[in-house]
Amino acid sequence: MASLPKRIIKETERLVSDPVPGITAQPHEDNLRYFQVTIEGPQQSPYENGVFELELFLPDDYPMEAPKVRFLTKIYHPNIDRLGRICLDVLKTNWSPALQIRTVLLSVQALLASPNPNDPLANDVAEDWIRNEDEAIAKAREWTKLYAK
Amino acid sequence: MSEDGNMVVKEAEKSEKRRFFNEDLEEDGNGASDETVDGVLQNDLDNQNSFLFAGASGSPEVEESVDEIKEIKDVIPNLTDSQANDLLQRAGTSSDKGERIAGAVGIYFESCASQPNVMESNQRDPSPQPGSAVKLTKASTLLSPTPAKRIRDYGARLFKKRKPTVRWRRFIGSMQVSALATRPTVKPLKYGSELKILKTSSDALGKLYYANGRKKASMANYVRLVDENLNREVGRVPEDVAMILFPLVDSDELDFEATMIYCNNRRLSVGDSFIVQLDCFLTSVMFENYSALTKHTTTLDKRSFSQNVVESDEELRLKSRRLALISLFDHVQLRTTSEHDSLDSSFGEPAEVIDLDNEGDSGSEITKSVDTHTIQPSQIQDDVLNVNQLKSLYKSTLSMESSKYLPETTPSVESFKLELRRYQKQGLTWMLQREREFDLVSDAASCEEVDGDMMNPLWKKFRWPKDLSWASQKQTRIDLHSQHDVECFYANLHTGEFSQAKPVIKSMLKGGILADEMGLGKTISTLAMILSVPHDRGYQERKTPEQPEKLDADISILGTQQVEHSKPYAFKTTLVVVPMSLLSQWQQEFEKSVSNPELHCEIYYGGNTSGLRTLLTKNKSPPIVLITTYGTVQHEWGRLMNKNTGYMESDTTGLFSVEFFRIVIDEGHTIRNRNTRTSKSLMDLESSRRWILTGTPIINRLDDLYSLIKFMRLEPWSQVGYWKTFVSDPFEKKNYKSAFDVVSSILEPVILRRTKLMRDVDGKRLVELPPKEVIIEKVSFNKSEDALYQYFLNRAENSVKEGLDRGDLLKKYSTILVHILRLRQVCCHSDLLGSLDENDEDLTENKMLTEPVKIDEKVSEAISPSSNVSKEELDAIISHLQTKFPDEEQLTKLECSICTSEPIEPVTQVVLTECGHAFCELCILEYIRFQCERKQEVKCPNCRKTVDSNKLLTIENNSNKLKIVHYNGGSKSSKITSLVKSLKRLQDVSSGEQVVVFSQFSSFLDIMQREISASFSSSIAQIYKFDGRLSMKERSKVLHDFATKDLSKLKILLLSLKAGGVGLNLTCASRAYMMDPWWSPSLEDQAIDRIHRIGQVNDVKVVRFIMEHSIEEKMLRIQDRKRTLGEAVDADEDERRKRRIEEIQMLFE
Repeated sequence: MASLPKRIIKETERLVSDPVPGITAQPHEDNLRYFQVTIEGPQQSPYENGVFELELFLPDDYPMEAPKVRFLTKIYHPNIDRLGRICLDVLKTNWSPALQIRTVLLSVQALLASPNPNDPLANDVAEDWIRNEDEAIAKAREWTKLYAK
Repeated sequence: MSEDGNMVVKEAEKSEKRRFFNEDLEEDGNGASDETVDGVLQNDLDNQNSFLFAGASGSPEVEESVDEIKEIKDVIPNLTDSQANDLLQRAGTSSDKGERIAGAVGIYFESCASQPNVMESNQRDPSPQPGSAVKLTKASTLLSPTPAKRIRDYGARLFKKRKPTVRWRRFIGSMQVSALATRPTVKPLKYGSELKILKTSSDALGKLYYANGRKKASMANYVRLVDENLNREVGRVPEDVAMILFPLVDSDELDFEATMIYCNNRRLSVGDSFIVQLDCFLTSVMFENYSALTKHTTTLDKRSFSQNVVESDEELRLKSRRLALISLFDHVQLRTTSEHDSLDSSFGEPAEVIDLDNEGDSGSEITKSVDTHTIQPSQIQDDVLNVNQLKSLYKSTLSMESSKYLPETTPSVESFKLELRRYQKQGLTWMLQREREFDLVSDAASCEEVDGDMMNPLWKKFRWPKDLSWASQKQTRIDLHSQHDVECFYANLHTGEFSQAKPVIKSMLKGGILADEMGLGKTISTLAMILSVPHDRGYQERKTPEQPEKLDADISILGTQQVEHSKPYAFKTTLVVVPMSLLSQWQQEFEKSVSNPELHCEIYYGGNTSGLRTLLTKNKSPPIVLITTYGTVQHEWGRLMNKNTGYMESDTTGLFSVEFFRIVIDEGHTIRNRNTRTSKSLMDLESSRRWILTGTPIINRLDDLYSLIKFMRLEPWSQVGYWKTFVSDPFEKKNYKSAFDVVSSILEPVILRRTKLMRDVDGKRLVELPPKEVIIEKVSFNKSEDALYQYFLNRAENSVKEGLDRGDLLKKYSTILVHILRLRQVCCHSDLLGSLDENDEDLTENKMLTEPVKIDEKVSEAISPSSNVSKEELDAIISHLQTKFPDEEQLTKLECSICTSEPIEPVTQVVLTECGHAFCELCILEYIRFQCERKQEVKCPNCRKTVDSNKLLTIENNSNKLKIVHYNGGSKSSKITSLVKSLKRLQDVSSGEQVVVFSQFSSFLDIMQREISASFSSSIAQIYKFDGRLSMKERSKVLHDFATKDLSKLKILLLSLKAGGVGLNLTCASRAYMMDPWWSPSLEDQAIDRIHRIGQVNDVKVVRFIMEHSIEEKMLRIQDRKRTLGEAVDADEDERRKRRIEEIQMLFE
């Protein structure tokens, strides 16, 4: 296995020793660049009480390149598509090597708290959201209950 | 003198000569022929006698009749005892002693007188046969019994000195000779009638050869066939046969019988051809003369090799004799029987009938080869081995399967502390055997075989063929050899020596070549030997007055060298000569392995040289190992060498003042060129045992071995003449098998070579090394490097193009090499420009190299990166940042958000952006590169403000005074950046690693040292540098410190290829970086073997940095090419030139 940069080791250690509330990240035994992540749905959001599973992978060029993050749990969110892909600026163009795993996950958590249907990834969801926000939120809650146990 | 006249004189002389042995008479006849066959001819009469009487020789009762022999000898004074014996035998069984003697004497004279006329053969018309050149007659089925006659030149020598007796003769083969009638005959010659072979002139040598040794006249002019009955000449033989007969016919070492077998049953006219069967015999004299001849030839060889002086008559005579013998053996198809049947399985009964055409061909071939022999003086030629030859040589010679079965010797714990590996124990056995220290070898039984029954390689074994001579076919009267049931005899056709006993080489040499492949522990094996036999145990005995051991049976046939102790004998000291870089390694290994505290080793280097003799010979406990360098030996030698006389002055204090017990030279291929001062100086060191350690006994010439042999004083090969004749010359003539055969038989007893790939008896690898991975890491030029590279590339390309167009590329070879060197330097670091590559020694002569490198202004603009930022702008930024970090201490506590290092260490690694954010130099550079590659804007990772890579700043540490200065990233070389990055990564992953960084530019090592230490805080990384500039002491300190494990630090050894490429053991490191490619792939491999060798426990990883799209990539291709074509170039100079041009073209494609 390719050697692991010190930074990754440091980040991993800190994620374990000093976890962010509502977020867990465990490196995979076989691949220390692959993390199993859970994020609790933020309070006062349609995802409240849900626990969402994600996967996070640090590419070889990390931290020059952003980590790859994807929802594994089904979620009804305008910026997250059916495959779990996330539309988030810090994961794309706004990535900076000064960002870390923990900051990325916090951003994801923040995205759950404030969906942005104007920059959608899942177009159908975004349309629902814009047309009838309450209905959409209700559906998101329902999905959370259904899938994010 | 007309031939007839000659004949008459001879006939007239005959009866008298034989009686009175009148020396005067011979001068008339064949007088001058003594020049030709000198010591051989004189035995002629013996030969004759014994021919007559030999049948009876060896009969027991004769031996009693000593008195009778004496009486006979009174009558015939020149008779030998055995001849007299024979006469007595023939005289019959009369009981009266007087009668017997009378009879014997009678027979003697009678036989002599009647000899020419005995010819009363039964004749028979021969069946018609097509006449042609030379034909084998093994198959002749001639029926009628004809008394075979002995043909002799009766006009020959009388004895002068020794009188060997022809006790027997033995058939070696016969040939059919197509002779040419020179006289008409009245009637057809009878089938089976005996012909005499007669030399018409004995003064021929002078006529036959020019002063320079070339043959000028045909020998056929001087060899005639004479009809015994009619006493008249019949014809002549073809030249190739004459060349055999002429030098040999008068000798009693050989015996020839010619029998008429075909003349078409017609009378012969001049020019007609007829066929004669020529039976050839070797006589006992041949084997008796052996020792006498040996002396001759040895001196001859020595002389004739001293560069082609005009060959003396004696030499000519011996040469023509030698060539005649070779030719004869070839004509009669007497083939060598190989000692080991595998070598020549084709031996068997020679084909019964040989196709005429073929025979003719091979005949002429032989003549040709003989001619070239005669004409071509030995000349010095390049005999470079190509790689396949080298391989096969190694295979056939040096990798000895038998070494597997050597018994193992474990050195006693009292002397040697370390545990040897299995093959090392076997090696120790071998070495002790070579030193004749048999009692120390574990398995004493095997000791007898040390030198085996090594047959002298110059000798060939021959099987006596079945007697198919005319005589034996026709009748059984002459059955002289029936008592010999010996099947074989031995001959050295190179010198014309013959022996019935196997000529065994018994070398007195104590020592040898330990040529185990690199990394198998030659040093340890050698130390085990040294410590097992630390001093000459036989020395005390040697001092006893009788000195009998000098004359023991071990004297080799080829002479031995006896070292007299002309100098004081340091019988307790082994001198070890090593390259300087290995001095301390040897010392350390010694300390590690010695268990007896009284035994100590000393380094003899530089410093105080006086008193060495006293130390070694007068001291009670002299060092048992004295380690010195090649340089020291050469230096002392140079001091002693008298330039005027070319002789060495006697030394009273230094290395040359004593005779050592033993000398070991490590990396012994150092002396492969025997003409260097180093080699010469080592040859002059005295010791009673001599060892060579080398992993590569042959670099690319067969003659490389000669130096080693000369150093070991392995007689007779250490005489350059022997080597040239039997190795170099055959090799030059592309007679590889012969050359290699000789080489392998020379080497076999004295060399031991094992390779890593060899398996022991159980099929296990000798050495199991951890895997090795070599990665090529491509590095791309940064902008300024690229500009610089393009600039030099253009210059180089123009120069090459010019050279190619004009066709004088090779004349400009060194200029082009300089161009290439510049390109290689730019690949490493622009600061290297103008420095020397320490391996391109052939360049030092070139003026261009020392000229300062001039670079166009345009280019220098392009390569200077900050040209677009004004000073004012920079100053503004700096003052802004200074307000941001008013406290120096702040600067030491900066954190890099990219690698999360905190603080950034050393502080010089800090790079600040315009916006005042700090990063490690490498991190931010990597980020900038990454962003640029993706064509994305470079924004500060922390605040997302745009970053201008020209407006970066760094911190200067000026004697602990920190200062923000402009960061000039352009001075960094991409290669060093890659290296540092890789090292950082390594350090990140595991601290406490040890890595070796190789470069061939020692100034590059300096730059790397500077830059690496700027990139690593001294608390986490330690840098060592090892190059040729270090003193011996410094070297050992560096190596020692580097090898000491420190888990908190990354240890980096910067190693110059030249100083550290060989010998060093760096197994503490498992990673290596090759900063620049070398022309020769094997050199790189060798460097890698510093860490990938015995003792290495970790997987080895090697990174080779290669600049993308640069000459370095092309060098890789040339390396590949060298690997496939073979690194050692062919002997052919044209071929070499062609390759060079091709390589240069490859570089500039």
